[in-house]
Amino acid sequence: MATITVDDVEIKVKDDALLIEELLANGIEIPHFCYHPALGKDGNCRMCMVEIEGKKRPQIACDTPIKDGMVIRTKSDSIQRVKRQILEMELINHPIDCPVCDQAGECSLQNYYMDVGLYESRLSTTKTRGQKHVDIGANVVLDQERCVLCTRCVRFTKDITKTKELGVLNRTDHSVITTFPGKPLSNPYAMNVVDLCPVGALTSSDFRFHKRVWFLKPDEGICNGCSKGCSIYVDHHKAKYEDDTIFRYRPRYNDRVNGYFICDDGRLSYKIENKNRDSYAQIRGNESEHEYATGKLVRLLKRHHGKALFLLSPSLSLEEMVEVKRLAKYYDAKISGYDINEHDPKFGDDYLKCSDLSTNRRGFNLLDIDDKEANLVEYASGSEMLILIGRDDASGFDKYKNISVKVSINASMPKSAEIYDLFLPMKTHMSREGSFINIDGYLQFHKTHVEYGTQTQSLCDIVTTVLEEQSSTCRDIWDKSLTSIIKNIDLEDIKKESIKMSSL
Amino acid sequence: MGVKIVPRHGDSLKEKLYLLAIVGGLKVTFSHFMKNLKDTSNIETICYPEEQPKDITSRYRGVHRLTKREDDSVRCVACFMCATACPAECIFIEAVEREDGVDEKMPSKFSIDLLECVFCGGCVEACPCDAIRMDTGIFSFVKKNREDFVLDRDTLLSHKPMKGSN
Repeated sequence: MATITVDDVEIKVKDDALLIEELLANGIEIPHFCYHPALGKDGNCRMCMVEIEGKKRPQIACDTPIKDGMVIRTKSDSIQRVKRQILEMELINHPIDCPVCDQAGECSLQNYYMDVGLYESRLSTTKTRGQKHVDIGANVVLDQERCVLCTRCVRFTKDITKTKELGVLNRTDHSVITTFPGKPLSNPYAMNVVDLCPVGALTSSDFRFHKRVWFLKPDEGICNGCSKGCSIYVDHHKAKYEDDTIFRYRPRYNDRVNGYFICDDGRLSYKIENKNRDSYAQIRGNESEHEYATGKLVRLLKRHHGKALFLLSPSLSLEEMVEVKRLAKYYDAKISGYDINEHDPKFGDDYLKCSDLSTNRRGFNLLDIDDKEANLVEYASGSEMLILIGRDDASGFDKYKNISVKVSINASMPKSAEIYDLFLPMKTHMSREGSFINIDGYLQFHKTHVEYGTQTQSLCDIVTTVLEEQSSTCRDIWDKSLTSIIKNIDLEDIKKESIKMSSL
Repeated sequence: MGVKIVPRHGDSLKEKLYLLAIVGGLKVTFSHFMKNLKDTSNIETICYPEEQPKDITSRYRGVHRLTKREDDSVRCVACFMCATACPAECIFIEAVEREDGVDEKMPSKFSIDLLECVFCGGCVEACPCDAIRMDTGIFSFVKKNREDFVLDRDTLLSHKPMKGSN
C-alpha cells in the first residue's frame, strides 16, 4: 500500500499499479482515449495529463507508476489548459458531424469537450479528409475522419484476438486506421472494437441509425447464447405507441466470467429475442386465446394424471426448474432433462464461446433432475402426455405410439405447429428474472425487464396459474426451496456478483 | 454569490389606501374608452375568418416546415435532437442511410402530430442543422380526421416560408 495525495485529498492505493488505474478506481475523473483496462497503457493520446509535484512538466497518468508520497493535481488551471490544447489538436481534422454520428451521447471526445473544450475554432486551413463509412467487415463501419488514433482497436486485434487485421497507415495527419487489402476484419469477437472505440470512428452496421443512444435503457443481464453466461447490458427502449424492443447487447465487465468482452454471436442474438416476443398460443396449429390455452393445459394435465412426462430444456433458470418440478410432483408426472440439441461442437473455442449452448445444464445436477437417455426411454414408453418446456424437439418422440398428447411451452413459436396439441408461449429470457449456473460453476442472477405487450406469462407464472396459487417472485422461490439446496449462497449475494459454487 | 436586498413596498399610507392606484387604473381605462368612442376605425378587432389577421410576423410560431438544401433535397439528418427536446413527444422519426453522397443519414419518416404539439418552438431551437422551422405563418390548421393532423415528411417539406421571412 502507498499513500498519495490527489487534489489535496490523501488516498491509499496499490503500490505496483499504474497511476490512472488507481485514480479511476477511486472515482477521480481522468480523461483518456488510449488507455483501456483490458488493453493496458499505450501513452499515445496524451489526454490523461496530471500535474505531479517535483516534475517540471505535466505527466501522463497512464504510464506513470505509483510512488509513495506522490502529490498530484488533476484540476489545476495549467492542467485544464493542457487538456484544452490536446483536445484542440484532436479536433483539427475531426469532421464534427455529431448529428449523424452514432456515437453521439456516449462519445469520450464529446464529453471531454463539454468539460474543457475551447469552444472556438482557430483553424484557417482546410481539414485533412479521410474515408467515411467504410465497411471493414464483421458489421463494423469505419470513419477515418472521426478517429483519434488511440489504437485501441489495433491493440485488441493484436493482443486479444491475435488476428492482427487492423493497423495504422501513413504518417502525421494522414495517419488512418485501416485493414490490409483484401483482408477484412473477420474474427468471432470483432464487434468488440465498436465498444472499445472511444469516438465514432468504429460503429456497428447492425445498430447504426436504429436508435440514438440516450433513449436506450440499459438492463443488466446475462447472455443466453451459450453456457458461458457472459454479463451483458441489454439496451432496450419503449418508444411512444410502440412495443418495448431490444436494440443491442453490450458486454458488461465481470472479471469472473467474461472480462470486458463478448462474442459476436451472443451480441447479435438479441434479434431472436425480439422475434420471440410476438409468440402467441396455438391449439393444433390454430391461434388461441391465452387464457383458454392455459385452461386447456390444466384439463389435459388432469386427464393424464400420473401418465405425463415433463421434458425440460437445460436453459431454464433454477427457479423455473424448481417450479416445474413442483408441478410435476403435483400431477404425479415424470421429469427428465435429457437433451442433445443444445450442443454444437463447432461453436466452442478457447476464449469465451462454449460448445454447450444451454445456459443452466448444471442446474439439473443441483436440483436432482434426471438427464440420462436410458431413463428418458423408460419414462417415454410409459407416458400418454408429453410436455416440452423451453424446447421444440417433439419429432424425436414420434416412435412412441403410446404418447397421444404433445404440449409445448416455449418462448419461440414451434417450427411445425401441427404436431402439438397445445402450444403456450412463455416470456423470453430477457423479460424475466432468474438464477443460472454457468459452465465454470458460477452462480449468477439475471434481471432484465423488457416489457411485453401481450398477455404472455413467464414460466413461473404459468406454473402458479395452473396450480391456482398466487404468483411468486424469485425471492419467494428461494425462500421456499432453493435456500435449502444452496446453503452457503443467498439470492442477495448473487444479485451483486457471480459466485463460484463450492460443490456441484 | 452576493445577496441583493430588495426594498419591500406597500407600507406607506399612500399605498395602503389603494384608492390612488385604482383611480390611476381607471384613468387609463376611461382614456381608451373616450378615444374609441370618438373614432371607431382604430379598434383592434377583425371579422375573422372573412378578414384575416395582418400582424402575423416571421417570428410567429406557426405550423412547422422542413427546410431544403441548395439541391432541393431534405436538409434534416435525423439526429433526433428535436424529438429529444420535444416536451409533447409528438415528433416521430425513422432514420436511414443516405445513399446519394450528400450526407450519411436522413429521415425516411418524419412526422409531427399537430394534435399533440404545443407549438413551443423547442424543436426549432434544438435543431443543429436549421432543418426545421416554424415560419410558415400557418396559425389555423383544420382537418376532419385525427390522422390528417399527423403531418408526414413530404407535407412538411412542401410547406413554404411566409412572405417576408428569410
